[in-house]
Amino acid sequence: MKHEAIIGIALSALALFGNLGIAHAQSDCKTLVKPSPFGPDDQIGATNRITPAVTKAAAAEIQTGVVVPMAFNLVDGVPLFGTRFTKTILTSASLVPGGEYGKNRLTYMEDTYLSQSHVGTHIDGLGHIGIMDCYYNQTPMGKFVTQNYLKKLGLENLKTFATRGVVIDMVKVFQEAGKLKTNSACRTPCLDGGTVITEADIQAGLKMYNVTLREGDAVFLHTGWGDLFMQFPAENATYAKSAPGIGKAAAAWLAGQRVVLVGTDTWVVEVIPSEDTMEAFPVHAMLLTDNGIHIVENVRTDLIAAEAASSKRATFFLSMTVPKAVGTTGTFVNIEAIR
Amino acid sequence: MTALQMKRRHFLLATLAIISSARVASAEPRRFRVAFANLNEEPGTRIDGLGFTGAEIRRSFELASRSLPVDMIYYDNGGDAEKALGNAKDAVSSMVDLLIEYNSDARANAEIGRELKTAGIPLLAVNYSIPGAPLYTADHIGAGRIAGQALGKFAKENWSDQTLVAAILGDISDPSASVTARIQGVTEGLRQELPDLSPVHLDSAGHPVRAGGVLSKFLTAQTRRKVLVATLDDASALAAKSAVEAAGRISDCVIVSQGADRSIHGGASEKKEIDPANRGSIVLGSVAYYFDRYGYEILPIALRMLRGEQVPSQTSTKHILISAKNVFLEYPPYDMN
Repeated sequence: MKHEAIIGIALSALALFGNLGIAHAQSDCKTLVKPSPFGPDDQIGATNRITPAVTKAAAAEIQTGVVVPMAFNLVDGVPLFGTRFTKTILTSASLVPGGEYGKNRLTYMEDTYLSQSHVGTHIDGLGHIGIMDCYYNQTPMGKFVTQNYLKKLGLENLKTFATRGVVIDMVKVFQEAGKLKTNSACRTPCLDGGTVITEADIQAGLKMYNVTLREGDAVFLHTGWGDLFMQFPAENATYAKSAPGIGKAAAAWLAGQRVVLVGTDTWVVEVIPSEDTMEAFPVHAMLLTDNGIHIVENVRTDLIAAEAASSKRATFFLSMTVPKAVGTTGTFVNIEAIR
Repeated sequence: MTALQMKRRHFLLATLAIISSARVASAEPRRFRVAFANLNEEPGTRIDGLGFTGAEIRRSFELASRSLPVDMIYYDNGGDAEKALGNAKDAVSSMVDLLIEYNSDARANAEIGRELKTAGIPLLAVNYSIPGAPLYTADHIGAGRIAGQALGKFAKENWSDQTLVAAILGDISDPSASVTARIQGVTEGLRQELPDLSPVHLDSAGHPVRAGGVLSKFLTAQTRRKVLVATLDDASALAAKSAVEAAGRISDCVIVSQGADRSIHGGASEKKEIDPANRGSIVLGSVAYYFDRYGYEILPIALRMLRGEQVPSQTSTKHILISAKNVFLEYPPYDMN
């Protein structure tokens, strides 16, 4: 017993030192990530900006009741990033003759999703991107991950995105500036992969429809690249090989406007290859990790861009809900613009 | 408001608009017209004995120039001295602000140097010096030395009590100065770590497939030795690895390569030979030459020249060994998972 007690104490001491060792091995998140403007315990991020006043003001955008879809169908064959996959399995056993329930012969069906969450039109949560083990609000994420989910920064923390949406037509901006370099695989004009969208380009796009960004806005950029998504699977490789998108200066400017999300009709929002090819997804880190601003990818922007062009109005009420899936880093979403 | 007051107001507003637009114009940085004459963009042509292509070099300029105040003009010298001369003359007649010249012919380079000097157009040379022009160049000896040292250190750490043999495998008979320098560097690096070891030269005559056969034959004669292989390019390294596997000698052989081109490393989903998930590979690494980043390295030098700043007469590539430990730091993938 005495020996067992000594061994027990020794093991406890080792475990303690081990834990201390792990704590020391963590990065200094205060030097790697900016503090949140919403306080040291914040897990909500930029959706803090969607106040009742912001939602009420956004409701004024509903003038005709027309609803414009902004999400692509999630189906086998759409472009997926890297080795990501999405698959549904249909349970339909009760449709088999004799499988019905009760005298009213009720049948049912349901699905099992075998899917990664960052597929199709989807939102990147605050637990998606970090610098080393440091995530949004200087969170030392190593302490908050389990095999199955995050113990901090999960999607369940977000407020609803009931806010004003703004579409910025980068194709028109580049056409009018005489600098549109399209990609031959696009059936309609698009910015070519690798095209950097600058702060000046975004401002030109806003000016085109006399829009001034407001705190709490959701910004969507139409690049035309989404046409390649719609040609799935034929152009999947082209779609995922590169992308037009915002550069770091534009991301900094958007963050300065205190928007809540930035979405595009590309798989990545930011320009690929990056302005500095030694950097990995720097705009993701700027928006998500440093500013708590969400990224929405693979957004269908062509319809709302066309609607804006015909009506000369680029703003709408954003309809996008995010499931309260605890401890997740992202999810596919449906988005609609209500006009 | 009277008509006179209205006129005055319009005049003032117009004046203000002119002043403010002039301010905006002067705030924008001056843009320069920079020409890049590439060594050879013929598809399938390898550049300077490594696995890079001219298209990759040109693409690096296209990417790097996106965020710089330069408008690029591209020429393909096609590996032809006369074509290079013609391209330089065209650049002169187009009155570019600066020419970046990547051409291997010394006689043509001398002539190009004279033409540009006469025209008063600054010139920046790539990998082959041009009299009077700053040079950006790979450090072939230094890169070779890194490979030799890596092999030697591995042997000292893992095979200190074993009999060793070393080989340099690749296009040994290539007469170009760059290949000769790499061979010299590998030899020096090996001897720095293992002074008694002299590498055997195994010539593939520029055919990577043949490299495997040459190494197989060599391995057959080295039954009880540990084998250190320095390959002169990545295609030869991959062929060498296959040969080692086929000979059942994986535990007796390690390989370090030159180039670090896309055949040997890639994205997160591609699972190429040098990959963080493949740390046990007998290919310890490949020395980076960064031909696919030339635009990022060279255009800032060109801009400094155009702004009248002094630049060093020679700037060399900072070569490092790309291995499973650092490949994604040096070449961030953009296909996660």
